[in-house]
Amino acid sequence: MPSQPPLPPLLAPYLSTQQESSLTLVSSILGATSNWLVLRFLHASLSNSSNSNSSIGLEEPPNGKQKKVVLVSFLRGWEFWKSEAKRLGLDLARLESKQQFAYVDGLSELFNTPKSPATNAPASPTGGPARTTLPLRQQPGMLPGRTPAPANPSLGKGSASTPSNAEPGVSKKLYFSGNGTTALDALERDILAVIEKQKTSDDEILLIIDQPDFLLASTGPSQAIGATEMMDWVMGLQQNVHSTVLTLAADSPLLHNASAVGHQMATPIESEHAAFSIGLAHRAQSVMQLRTLETGAARDVSGVLRISRGGGWSTEAEDSLEERELLFYIQRDGGVRVFGRGES
Amino acid sequence: MSFRKRNIGLSTGADRSTQPNATQPTPPEATPGIRPSPDDGRPTTSTGAPSLDNLLAGHAGLPMGKSLLIEENGTTDFAGALLRYYAAEGIVQEQKVHVVAMPEQWGRSLPGLIGTAESLDEKRSDRRKDERMKIAWRYERLGEFGAGVAGTRGAPPAASSAAGEQDPNAKQPPAFCHAFDLTKRLAHPSITNMTFIPCIPTAQSPFPAILDRLRTAISSSAPSTIHRILVPSLLNPTLYPPESCRPEYVLQFLHSLRALLSAYPTRVTAMITFPLSLYSRSSGLVRWIELLSDGVIELCPFPHSADNLTTSGAATSQEEPPQGMLKTHRLPVLHERGGGSDQNVGQDWAFILSRRRFEIKPFSLPPAEGDTEAQETAAPGSSMPKKSDLEF
Repeated sequence: MPSQPPLPPLLAPYLSTQQESSLTLVSSILGATSNWLVLRFLHASLSNSSNSNSSIGLEEPPNGKQKKVVLVSFLRGWEFWKSEAKRLGLDLARLESKQQFAYVDGLSELFNTPKSPATNAPASPTGGPARTTLPLRQQPGMLPGRTPAPANPSLGKGSASTPSNAEPGVSKKLYFSGNGTTALDALERDILAVIEKQKTSDDEILLIIDQPDFLLASTGPSQAIGATEMMDWVMGLQQNVHSTVLTLAADSPLLHNASAVGHQMATPIESEHAAFSIGLAHRAQSVMQLRTLETGAARDVSGVLRISRGGGWSTEAEDSLEERELLFYIQRDGGVRVFGRGES
Repeated sequence: MSFRKRNIGLSTGADRSTQPNATQPTPPEATPGIRPSPDDGRPTTSTGAPSLDNLLAGHAGLPMGKSLLIEENGTTDFAGALLRYYAAEGIVQEQKVHVVAMPEQWGRSLPGLIGTAESLDEKRSDRRKDERMKIAWRYERLGEFGAGVAGTRGAPPAASSAAGEQDPNAKQPPAFCHAFDLTKRLAHPSITNMTFIPCIPTAQSPFPAILDRLRTAISSSAPSTIHRILVPSLLNPTLYPPESCRPEYVLQFLHSLRALLSAYPTRVTAMITFPLSLYSRSSGLVRWIELLSDGVIELCPFPHSADNLTTSGAATSQEEPPQGMLKTHRLPVLHERGGGSDQNVGQDWAFILSRRRFEIKPFSLPPAEGDTEAQETAAPGSSMPKKSDLEF
């Protein structure tokens, strides 16, 4: 099987153009994650400029506007995104240094208690406040070509603290503290600071938030965060960027238990999640659902991708969004084939 | 595609990992118990149960930096057996084993070492040699045909035997996986290295204290130390205080555990077992716990009364009857990329726990043996004419 183009042709129109101030919702389930689609969004926005720079030379993109991406990820680390993007020929670290891409890390220190630097080494006084916990011991090994031996035994705390300061790629690490909207506001400020740094002129900034629903699930009503607060949070971020892509989990226990058809009462985690995701779907320009085949697993189909108009779809949009259902297959090498039902 | 994949040898796999994938530094070859995955060269470690290793999406082991959630229905403790294998394997490989919320007696119940996994396989195949029809000598390397999880295109059993047999230069490389006997007790010098992290009930969440201990233990150890984190029976009320079931506590714990794993992508693995009888899979909390794990496997043991039913499920009288069904809901790495294209996904698996092994094999429904009698007795009374009555 030949290697697939990084951007499946059938998907390209959906991925490459987002309308101004639009929200695209990507829903995933346990057996069909959305990471590959997020990577395709990254590729669609970032590859043009990087290709034209490398192959044709420094040439302006056709519309004169540069596309930039800010990725906020709550469940997956920088290493994952970097290595998977590399499979698509996208060097995120380089794009980050070119100010076209920024990564906001919502994984590594979101709930870490800030007292851990005291127990740890007095290592990095140079790092920002967000970086004072746990200097990642693996960092030097992750820089290709700088330290040849990854498991260098001399890789102690002292040597690790200096390169961790120059930690590539990660613009900001989010830290959650406090309760309710104040905590969310702090997160919003952190993300907005990164967005502002990217914004130089009238560039189009695409904000990708990977699974903000986790934030809702892991805090909940006891910390005074509900679906309404999360919706406001997303809205606040949306105002500052050109367009937004948001992924969330849409497993049936998370959505359907809330309808109270079952015998048991819905727990807050379920009802809040349902309210959040349904509210976002009503606001979204388009909804892309990822799920597995209902008929069971198949050897050459990974799952179903359904693209539909969301509640926020506006009729005056000149390019009408075609609703369709496609199958996708993810190869072992990470390449993705997207095809209609009955095609191969 | 299968043709191209099969041509990729072990060595090229390792090369690929260093060049395009330099983000994952493979630990030096000397690290015992770590080997590159035949699929993409990332470092993996054994779970202590060879057939579980082979189930994990062609990596022939649990990739480093990943977590595995094993859910179990009912009151049996098959997941606990898997966890003990995992702990024992870590001890034999001299990795650091951290056990969360279990008393220290648990460490004394680990299964005893009886050799490497290959040696057990050889013994088994010797015993079977006479009974088995030989197809062709060169296919033998491809693993026990039909007897277990045949490796995905990379053929993990072949890879392990290739490392052991085909390479004449390497004399007896350190074993990747060992065999254990559940009736014996593990005696190994490094068994005292296990750390037991108690779950101390507090007014607040008990988890930050556990995480702090894990974090300091990992960050203060030598960079070449490999760690295993075991979380037996998460949220079991005999181990955890009732407040710990609050979603914000347990989800924040699992998220931080995930952060810890991703901070040390080549040094830590984790295995969590979870009682499904107490927390149903159809609840939102359990679904979030699953979403926060890299691999999710569900064990559904057959009820005890079904024993006589399932004896007929074995294809031959020599095979042990399956003790339960195994479902793979999510596999490490594969599903993170999007998932679904592995031949191990969506299959019906059955598992058999015997004294010496935990075996996972494709499940097949038994032939309806009991029905033959029913048919015969029903035949005279029915309107179906006998064969002799039919004339053509």
